[in-house]
Amino acid sequence: MTRLVEVPAQFDDRSFDQFAGAFAEAAKDGERLLFDAHATEWASPYGLVGLLAAGQAVRGPGGGSGGTGERPLLTAPTHAEVLTYWTRAGFFREAAELFEIHGKVPRVKAAEESDVLLPVTPVRAAEDVHAVVSNIQQRASAILASELGLDPKATMGFAMALSEACQNIVEHAGTGGWVAVQAYRWRRKLAKRVVGIAAADAGVGFRHSLEPTQSKRFGTRWGDAAALEAALIQGVSRFRDPGRGQGLAGIRRYLARWDGKIAIRSGTARIAIVPKWDDDVPLKDGLPAFPGAQVLIIIPEQGSTKP
Amino acid sequence: MIQHIDVHAVLQESVSGVYTDLVTRPTGRVVRERIERAMATAAGDVAVARIDFTRVRCIDYSCADEIVAKLLRSRPGVLVLMGISDGHREAIEPVLAGHRLAVLIERPDGTLEAVGAPDVAAALLEELVARRVAARSPGGTLTLT
Repeated sequence: MTRLVEVPAQFDDRSFDQFAGAFAEAAKDGERLLFDAHATEWASPYGLVGLLAAGQAVRGPGGGSGGTGERPLLTAPTHAEVLTYWTRAGFFREAAELFEIHGKVPRVKAAEESDVLLPVTPVRAAEDVHAVVSNIQQRASAILASELGLDPKATMGFAMALSEACQNIVEHAGTGGWVAVQAYRWRRKLAKRVVGIAAADAGVGFRHSLEPTQSKRFGTRWGDAAALEAALIQGVSRFRDPGRGQGLAGIRRYLARWDGKIAIRSGTARIAIVPKWDDDVPLKDGLPAFPGAQVLIIIPEQGSTKP
Repeated sequence: MIQHIDVHAVLQESVSGVYTDLVTRPTGRVVRERIERAMATAAGDVAVARIDFTRVRCIDYSCADEIVAKLLRSRPGVLVLMGISDGHREAIEPVLAGHRLAVLIERPDGTLEAVGAPDVAAALLEELVARRVAARSPGGTLTLT
């Protein structure tokens, strides 16, 4: 029997919980899964890397592959423009390993210019982070300056933030993940151009990663939300080296300077540093469980960011 | 004697490919270990190690910690960074401040400044003058002697 997981029509960080709920429900009895994206009209980079993480989770230990080792099914979007964009964004190149894809995928190259600053890129080792950082600096500088009005000096900070987000996967997930960077229009309250970094994996997640060093300190409060709070707000790390925990702290400093946003979802919780232009909530707990960690970083167009 | 260490050259020897960015902890660790080896095997009486970042495009927080902070903690001698861009500083300064450390930066005109935790930075400059490693000009700027 095959269980259906519907991919939301507008698939981004906000609709991700709906997707995670459908995924958790469908995966619980270990049947083969069908991810249905045929009616999807738009997906942010967060949606694309999150969908890959779901495919990764299914194929991992305890995943819902029905015990057969079969890949889950994925029906590709039917809208031609959506399909072309997902291809240009490098999604299908990565998805082909994880899913049995149904639908006609166009043969277009992953984007080498345009709004896709970094196509969906696998991150498994430090070497991948070097490639990502090198690539983004060559491509992002013009867009950050011309479209978002960022000082050209901000490009290096952007690369640093991207590097730390990727290293979070390499060092804490216990598995590989994906990262993507894109310029797009933030559809909600802000209604401006933004550059978004999305990174996702289906690894062990923040709670598991920090548990050996942090759970006693939090006592009965310990859980996904406490782990996210410890990592993002208190800057703690699973490593005892006093220099650890610099990455997320550095990202926060960069975002404070450029009025940016970060949100991290792991397990059943989601934490965010919310700028004035957004109406997100700082901490959500009790969400549908989803493996690993999913990170969203948003840098808005500079100038007035008043709602 | 001043020992000169080209970080870009060390980076090129340390990672495969042609990357010019100091990113990731493993890369930082390898680069630092190579710098430490170069310092340990330097001929002559080295009073100052000048670490040159000129051709390094980007350094992230992890590498700032792994290289600069750890070198400062492990090395009793004087460490001077040169070729430091605004972007480099953006990573190095907060990392050092978090550790309550400070490092000397040599500007293109040869003058020195100390960055990191403000009180530690001020004390570092005073110590250099007292040890006569640096001298103050009539204008108040510091340069290596």
